[in-house]
This record gives sequence, structure tokens and C-alpha cells, in this order.
Amino acid sequence: MSTVISLYRASIKEFVRDRAALFWTFAFPVIFIVLFGLIFSGNSSPSYTVGLVNEDGGAVGNTLAQTFGKVKPFTIKTGTREAEVDHLKKGQIDLVIVIPSGLSQAIASGQTAQVQMVYDPSSSPTNAQIVVNIVQQVLADFNSGYTHVTPPLALATPQTVTAHHESGIDFLMPGVLAMSLMQLGLFATATPLVSLRQDQVLRRLGATPLPRWKLLASQVMLRLTIGFAQAAVIVGLSIWVFNVHIEGSLLAVAGLVLLGALTFVAIGYLVASLARTVESANGITTAVNFPMMFLSGIFFPLALLPAFLTPVVRALPLTYLADALRQVAVGSVPEFPMMVDLAVLAGWALVCALLSARFFKWE
Amino acid sequence: MASTTDVIRVENLRKYYGKTRAVDDISFAVYSGEIFGMLGPNGAGKSTTIEMIEGLRVPDAGAVSVLGLRQPQDAKAIKQRIGIQLQTTALYPRLTVTELLDLFHTFYPGQRTVPTAELIRTVDLEEKADTRSKQLSGGQKQRLSVALALVNDPEILFLDEPTTGMDPQARRQLWDVVESLRQRGKTILMTTHYMEEAQQLCDRVAIVDHGHIIELGSPADLIQRYFTDIAIQFQDGQTSAERYAALPGVSHAATEDGRVTVYSTDVPRTMAALLEREREGGGVLQNLNVHGATLEDVFLKLTGRALRD
Repeated sequence: MSTVISLYRASIKEFVRDRAALFWTFAFPVIFIVLFGLIFSGNSSPSYTVGLVNEDGGAVGNTLAQTFGKVKPFTIKTGTREAEVDHLKKGQIDLVIVIPSGLSQAIASGQTAQVQMVYDPSSSPTNAQIVVNIVQQVLADFNSGYTHVTPPLALATPQTVTAHHESGIDFLMPGVLAMSLMQLGLFATATPLVSLRQDQVLRRLGATPLPRWKLLASQVMLRLTIGFAQAAVIVGLSIWVFNVHIEGSLLAVAGLVLLGALTFVAIGYLVASLARTVESANGITTAVNFPMMFLSGIFFPLALLPAFLTPVVRALPLTYLADALRQVAVGSVPEFPMMVDLAVLAGWALVCALLSARFFKWE
Repeated sequence: MASTTDVIRVENLRKYYGKTRAVDDISFAVYSGEIFGMLGPNGAGKSTTIEMIEGLRVPDAGAVSVLGLRQPQDAKAIKQRIGIQLQTTALYPRLTVTELLDLFHTFYPGQRTVPTAELIRTVDLEEKADTRSKQLSGGQKQRLSVALALVNDPEILFLDEPTTGMDPQARRQLWDVVESLRQRGKTILMTTHYMEEAQQLCDRVAIVDHGHIIELGSPADLIQRYFTDIAIQFQDGQTSAERYAALPGVSHAATEDGRVTVYSTDVPRTMAALLEREREGGGVLQNLNVHGATLEDVFLKLTGRALRD
């Protein structure tokens, strides 16, 4: 086993000393994430979607509700407190205003009342302050023009929640992660293997008593290590710089990364079994890479693709990995049930591994 | 001095690629402690033969035994006791000489191996011990691949065209390394298409052409078998060839553009006669050159073709 570790460490050294390989392995997905993150996170809308909850039902309350409806920057949606707070947490609305029950009665009997508000101050600090000011202004105007109570109708200390905005980067990050795992299998596995065979390196190693399975084990370990490193960079960057929120457990994400890496590394070995030269390996991997990138729901939801492409989409393993990662990481609506995703990936991994074992030539 | 124990025995070895007979009934034995060379042009079947002995290729017919063990049945046991030098250092090009040697040590667990520092000394790569293998020159890469083949202190070392593409100085350096290994009691089986290499290094040579061994013996024996004359050449524009042919020991003489070649079977007597002639004023022996036939001449005589294409 220590031979496998020695081979593994030697291959890590070789990889880390290869500046070009390092750059493409990490810079490529990072560039995507940064680009998408910048495109999708600068959201400053001068209009706010407001969930208006009227628990009062009395005359004053209804009038107040209508008044809020006339506020220009506000787009009003009505609903129950639970429903609207839930929408707020999912980032679907910007704030919740609650007209509590008993407000009309209090005003009618000359007492003051307080209007409640729920929002996420961290999602956009400047907007938050603007919104508070707007609501306070509305209430002040309402009070001076209508209710005339003292102390005036006021805004209670707003309740805060943490909302996450499912913006574009949430959809794209799992896709970029899936794509980098696919490229791990194709470009970081198939081509180097064929190159090793072409350069007769595998033959050279065959001249020693080194068992082939040890070499294989060290190679697979190397690829898995690289896959996890890439995943760490992609996920870390998304969380800390672009505020992507990971719904599921990181352990589940890690498990999917492992499965995805194994699947695409197995596909890479199969390609290496079929390609005799580096040129043909490059041809196959490029031919496989581009359709998968665009037809597997990486950059846009599958619903946007024309229907006649559905059989192709279903045949691509990347579709299922991207879907599974999106479900686990950001809780998006599944394209396929998770069990289907896992089964397809495991199936591809197994079949490719078996075919490679049968057809791989060491010289 | 080589003993006569067989460390390698090859019997009726054959390998076909479709209709081509790459190796067509080759038999020979290699004795313990000798440097045995297979000399022949490219495509003669030398590499294929040595690969079948190493266990890297499976014969279509024939028997191979190495150190008393059979190929391919005992391949793994054989690999532990032999060293194979192959032309590839593309393995991990960004690892240093030391790191590569250390890595190869781990391929022989439980076996006695030669320490990396000693291997580096043996092939004279001390200055490059921490250089990445892709930055080595061609000759240095070959020496590294020899070092890699010596990690397990093998009893037999296999060298396949070890000085191809090397400049003369680098070639000589490698020859020194091979000589020192033979002095340590190792047996060496090598292939080459360089006549000087076979002649300089090898105790015995098998001349290979078109998949057959056409001759086998020590370089000196082979040359003597086919050539008994030594050529004595010098400048003389005046004297005719017949006059020289009359000298003692001379089998025949020829002149070309003032350059005389006298073929002698008894060089001391012929030389004495030539010097006597010079002393008597019969012309100065200018640009004197005495040389015997080479293995290349043997090959040419046997096949009608040159060793080099």
C-alpha cells in the first residue's frame, strides 16, 4: 500500500509543478463563477416587492392597506403572515408589512397602535434603510392625515430574518461544479493517460514488478483529490464572495462530488481505452465536452431547450449530476428525482469501469 | 572473465507480425558476467528479441529462460532480479532525478535495493541530482534511465540501443558506466546498431539481420573469421601498385589518387620492408594509416549491405 501512496505523492508533485495544468484546473471554473457572480449579484432595484399582511380587517386597517398599495416604489402582494415571511426568506419578496389585528379598534378608541415589519437587513443594507424610511413616512402621513392619534401611529421595531436570494449564481454554481467534474474526467484523465501510453511510460513501468492495480489506484486517488480541491474552491468562492447559500449539508455535497468525480473519471478511462493517440483523445473529449456543457442544464434550465433534444439531454450523465448538485446545494426544483440522478451516475460509473477494464491497453 | 554458466537461454524464438517474420528462429545463450551485444540494422529484430527475453512481449514460438526461470510464466520473479533500461523518462518529467529514483525504490518492496545516492554516483549524475528530469540533456536522460534500471541491483541489465542520439563524449561516458557494471559482476545484454559500440564493449556479439542471427562470436573472432588482411595506407603518387604487391606478407595492393592501400597478412614483416624502402630513399610514408577490418566490414561481407541505412 505504501507503494500506492508513493505513486500518489509523486503524481501530486508532478501535477502541482505543472503550472499550466494548475491554472486550467482552478482558474477555469473560478473565472466562470466570478463572471456569473458579478453578473447576477448586483441587484439594485428601485422597486420593492412587499408582502402585505392585513390581520386587522377593520376600517382603519383596510384604509392603511390601500394607502400602502399606492406607494410608488412598492409592489404589493397580499397573504398570511406565515406565507409572506416564507417568501421573504426565500428571497422572493423584499419585505413584509403586517397590519396587526386590533389596530382599527385601538385607533377608534383613541389609542396608538404599531405596524410591524419583517425584512432582511443584510441582503441590501442601503435598500433596507430606504424602506424603513418609506414606511415611517407613510405612517406619519397617514397619522397626520387620517388617524390623528397621539402618540402617532408608528412602526414597531422591525423583525429581522435572514433571507437568501435565489439569484442566478445559485442556479449556476452547482452547474459550474458539475462541469468542472466532467472536465476532470475528460481532460485531466483521458488525455494524460493516452499520452502516458503513447510515450511508452506505461510500458516502462511494466518492466518493473509494480502491479498495475497499484498504478491505477494512485491515478484515481490523484483525480479524486483534484476534484475535491476544485469543488472546495468553487463552493468556497460562491459562499464567501457571492453569498450563495448551501441548503443541504456540505457532507451531502461532498458525497455527490465523490460520485460525480468517480463517474467522469470512469468515463475518462473508457475514452483512454478507445483512443490510440493523443490527437484522437483530444478529438473525443472535445466532441463530448461541448454538447454536455450546453445540453445538460448547466447555464440555463432544461425547460429552455427545444423538446426534440430531450432524448439527448436524458442520455447525458452531466444532466443528472448537475441536477443532483443543484437539489442538494441550493434546494432548487428537481428535474429528476434524486434517486434517479444517483442511479444514473452510479450506472455510468460501473459500466464505464467494466468496459475500461476489458478494453484498456497498457501499450 | 565471464564464466560459462547460462544466465539467459533463448531457443528457437519466433515472433510474427502478420506475414512479417520479425524474429525468425533465434537461438543463443548469454553467459554470466559477460557483455553480450546484438548488432544489426534497424528493423533486424533485435529490440523484439530483447523484449521477449525481458518479458515485455510474448513470443509466438520458442523458449526463453532467464536465471533459470521461464518467461512468461515466471515473469514477476524475473522482473525482481533484472533491470530493464527503456528509453522513456516521460514518466514524471517534473520530478527530480532523486525523486524518481526514490519512487522506483518503492516498486521493489521487501527487496534489497541500492541507495539513491549510490545510483546517482554510479551513473555520474551527482551535479544533476536535484534537477527535474525534463531539464536533463539527452545523454543525462539515458544515464538516468540506466540508474532506474539498477535500483534493484539486478543480476542482468538489459540495454536497448542505449546511446542512440548521443554525442560521442556522452556515448563514451555511458560506455564507462557499462564497463564498471560488468566489473561488478553484472551480466549485460544490449542491442545496438553502432559498430564501434559492439566492438568496444561487447565480449560476444550476435549479428542480426532480418530476424536471424547470421553470426555469433567475439568481435575479434568474427573479424578474423572473415578478414585476414590488415590494410596499410599511405600517400605515394609515384610508385605503382605492383611494386608494393611484391613486398613480403602482402596479399594485394591498390592505389587510388595517389593513396596506396597495401593488404598484408603479416604486418610486422610488411612494415619492416616498407620502412627499409623509405630509408633507402624509395619515398616517404606520408599519412600512414594502419587499420584492420571492423564488424561493419563483416556485416557488409555477410549481407552485401551496410549496417547503417
